[in-house]
Amino acid sequence: MLLSRSGTSLLIIALCIAALGILSIYSSTSQKEGDFWQLTYKRQVFWVMIGVALFLLVSNFNYRRFWDATYLLYAVTLALLLLVFILGAVRLGAQRWLKVAWFNFQPSEAAKLAVVVFLARYFSTKPAGALSLSVGSMGFVRAVLIPLAFVLVPVGLIVEQPDLGSGIIVFLILLIMLYVSGVRMGYVLGFVLAGLSMLPVFWNMLRGYQKDRLLVFLNPNIDPLGAGYTIIQSKIAIGSGGIFGKGWMSGTQSQLRFLPESHTDFIFATFVEEWGFFGSAVLFFLYYLLIRQGLNIASRTSDSFGRLLALGICCMFAIQISINVAMNLGFAPVVGVPLYLMSYGGSSIAVTFASLGILANIDKQRSVF
Amino acid sequence: MRLKITAVAITAVFFLLFAGVLNLTCIQGKRLKYLSEKNCVRLMPQQGSRGKILDRNGEVIAGSRLTYDAMLLPQDKNETERLLTRVAAILGESSGSLRKAFQERFVSSSVPVAIAANIDVKKAIALEELKDELPGIMIQPHPLRDYPYGKLACHVLGYLSEIDRWRLTKLGDYGYKTKDIVGFGGVEEKYDYYLRQEEGGLSFEVDHRGRFVRVLGFRPPQDGKDVQLTLDLRVQRIVEENLDGRTGSIVVMDPYDGQVIAMANSPGFNPEAFVYRSSQRALSGIMNNPEAPLVNRAISSTYPPASVFKIVVASAGLENKKVNFTTTFPCQGGAQIGNRRFACWDVHRPQDVFHALVNSCDVFFYRTGLLLGPEAIHDYALKFGFSKPTGIELPYEAGGFVPHPLKRKLYQFKKWFDGDTANFSIGQGDLLVTPLQVTRAMAVFANGGKLVSPYIISSISGQRSPEGRRKTAAISLKEDNREHIRLALREVVASPTGTGIALAGAGIAVAGKTGTAQVTRGQPHAWFAGFFPFAKPKFVICVFLENGTSGHFAAILARQIIEKMALEGLV
Repeated sequence: MLLSRSGTSLLIIALCIAALGILSIYSSTSQKEGDFWQLTYKRQVFWVMIGVALFLLVSNFNYRRFWDATYLLYAVTLALLLLVFILGAVRLGAQRWLKVAWFNFQPSEAAKLAVVVFLARYFSTKPAGALSLSVGSMGFVRAVLIPLAFVLVPVGLIVEQPDLGSGIIVFLILLIMLYVSGVRMGYVLGFVLAGLSMLPVFWNMLRGYQKDRLLVFLNPNIDPLGAGYTIIQSKIAIGSGGIFGKGWMSGTQSQLRFLPESHTDFIFATFVEEWGFFGSAVLFFLYYLLIRQGLNIASRTSDSFGRLLALGICCMFAIQISINVAMNLGFAPVVGVPLYLMSYGGSSIAVTFASLGILANIDKQRSVF
Repeated sequence: MRLKITAVAITAVFFLLFAGVLNLTCIQGKRLKYLSEKNCVRLMPQQGSRGKILDRNGEVIAGSRLTYDAMLLPQDKNETERLLTRVAAILGESSGSLRKAFQERFVSSSVPVAIAANIDVKKAIALEELKDELPGIMIQPHPLRDYPYGKLACHVLGYLSEIDRWRLTKLGDYGYKTKDIVGFGGVEEKYDYYLRQEEGGLSFEVDHRGRFVRVLGFRPPQDGKDVQLTLDLRVQRIVEENLDGRTGSIVVMDPYDGQVIAMANSPGFNPEAFVYRSSQRALSGIMNNPEAPLVNRAISSTYPPASVFKIVVASAGLENKKVNFTTTFPCQGGAQIGNRRFACWDVHRPQDVFHALVNSCDVFFYRTGLLLGPEAIHDYALKFGFSKPTGIELPYEAGGFVPHPLKRKLYQFKKWFDGDTANFSIGQGDLLVTPLQVTRAMAVFANGGKLVSPYIISSISGQRSPEGRRKTAAISLKEDNREHIRLALREVVASPTGTGIALAGAGIAVAGKTGTAQVTRGQPHAWFAGFFPFAKPKFVICVFLENGTSGHFAAILARQIIEKMALEGLV
């Protein structure tokens, strides 16, 4: 059989969300002129098709092979990030993409998955002959500092791009992985406290406009023409949807260009404007089902690497979805992260479907054992 | 256990966000829906003023001044049409041209459109008084660049214009946007980041007729930082008045620490032409002028230095002991080198290094150059700071070129001949330098053997620019050699046979060196580089005239400037 039962349901839920995303992309770009905009939704359909192919491929690829290839994966990710950095330096500006043949690839999306794989392997090593994992008996250096060092390298490169949002997400993934992998509670708390006490230092390392964005989040009215404008418009878009929404293709905020990035980072606002509170309830439910399904797979799996990997992927989803929605609602700073499966963008769609494929395979291998 | 807690935490976060959506859609939904349906949010950008550029005494070279723009809030078509007709009547313009301006500058229905820029104060007041009747009209103060002295120091300042594509991709990350006004050339470009003001603005709610209801948010605009230069406007003015009408460049510098006191180029341009882009003809005149009035020749153009370069060759010869104070070479109006005859501009008979400098005898330097070899001259030229930019805080500085047999072999696949050495020894051939490089090479003899780094920024918003960047490197010249050349430079002006005789009668003792650079096309270029007063130099001056015929004319111009400076008590 090509897919297990859980695999099929994962794919169906993901396709439902992606379909809603394509509807919203179609609606938000329909008013914009030019072939580029008119064809955006078609490109997204194409990406989703690629995504499904990736899902089928990865779900039939034994995830244990990732264990062997962890360091290779890590090295390739670093190389891609460095390449972005070098090309960016040549082009004298911000760059998050690598132009590969005919499409732009965003390595920071893949870096998140690579970090999850790396941490899952790191925390599931067993000493030879032992029955239990070594993580419980690890000291602070081995449990926290070494993985931190391995994570900081890609985070540094991502933040330098500059893509603050993805950097923060990778960091949060590390934090949650520390917790779920069974590192001593004292160490986890120590790590959090140390991180909090370092905040002023990080603040000083930020660029001026990044600071502005974070400040604007606290009070959108201090910059009504810049980042604050986006937050105000996004809130208006969501709120004006009301209970039942304005109906598909009738959202004025997103279509009349009041809302910037209405088909990528702010697609949630676009969606809620047209489908209202009930639409958002459906969307939340679908995302919840997806993550719930992943967590179930994690709890069913007895292989510790598989369990941690599944957990990590679920956390990655939950963190990124929450940050994006919070940003749309004005609860979090505008940091530029896409909403998985909804936002337009090939890299994020591909990475999402590949991650879901890994989840499906973890469950499949379990039934084989 | 931890897995369960994680699952619960994720569920909790989702519920929290869901509650957020509930709050916005159901509780605040009505008000937000109203705002969205009426498109009732308006944005009114407000500009701060760009930082001033001051001279060393705090006089404003480029400031800013308030003008008024008439803005129109976009409304439905009939209403807009009615407003345009009314405004056109008050401004005395045709409503057609206003309509065109409106259509051209329309961004989105939430942003007011500037339909008439820079309107008269009286008309602005007249429009403001009609506010009750015409709620869609707003008068917006708008600071514009102001040049109290017109084109004075234009090349040092640069000009302002709308950002171009190249700069936008480069600077987009630093908050630059399309349609921003940024500096091009000069201090305006190099220090744009500091000078640049920050846009602020107001977002407010309006009712269905476009009348103001309440402020939603405000961000105060911020003024740019002031940049103070080392220029002395009094000297700058004298220099520009004297240079006017010719093609060339003049630099006046403090010999001890490299402060640029004056930097002028001719032809110049009036930066005001870029502020009011109204006169397109004047603009394209500046852009397409073959005389290149936008180019800061003092740092961006390179020329052969000709005889001025002899101070370098003389230093090299004495330091490398190829010649001493008593070595003489006979000059019969030329010398046979290889199978070519190299002429001297006069017949000087036997010359030692001192008199060869005074009379600018080419034969002496052909011989010295051949004894030294091109590599040694190359090395000394580098010691005097040629071949690389001086590092002054202005954009587009050229480095110039110092030839070397190896470079020629590598890049041109050609052999180096003795004739090339001879040309090199008198500052001709492939050698190319900027007037600013010549100025600082001359300063070495005025300040006791130090190569200074010229600079032009003295402080930014009251804070002195860091001194660490201003390197002064001692050139290893023996004191008696340096002194010997220094005295010769005085004799260039004082001796009746000296080439700088034009300066002899100036009230102040000047020392220096002239140069006449042969060029392939047109009259030779004219150089004079010198320092004054001789006993305790306060200024180094370099006068360069493109196709100025002879160094003599550059010396005359230098004399006029020095006399005027003395007259005004500046020396």
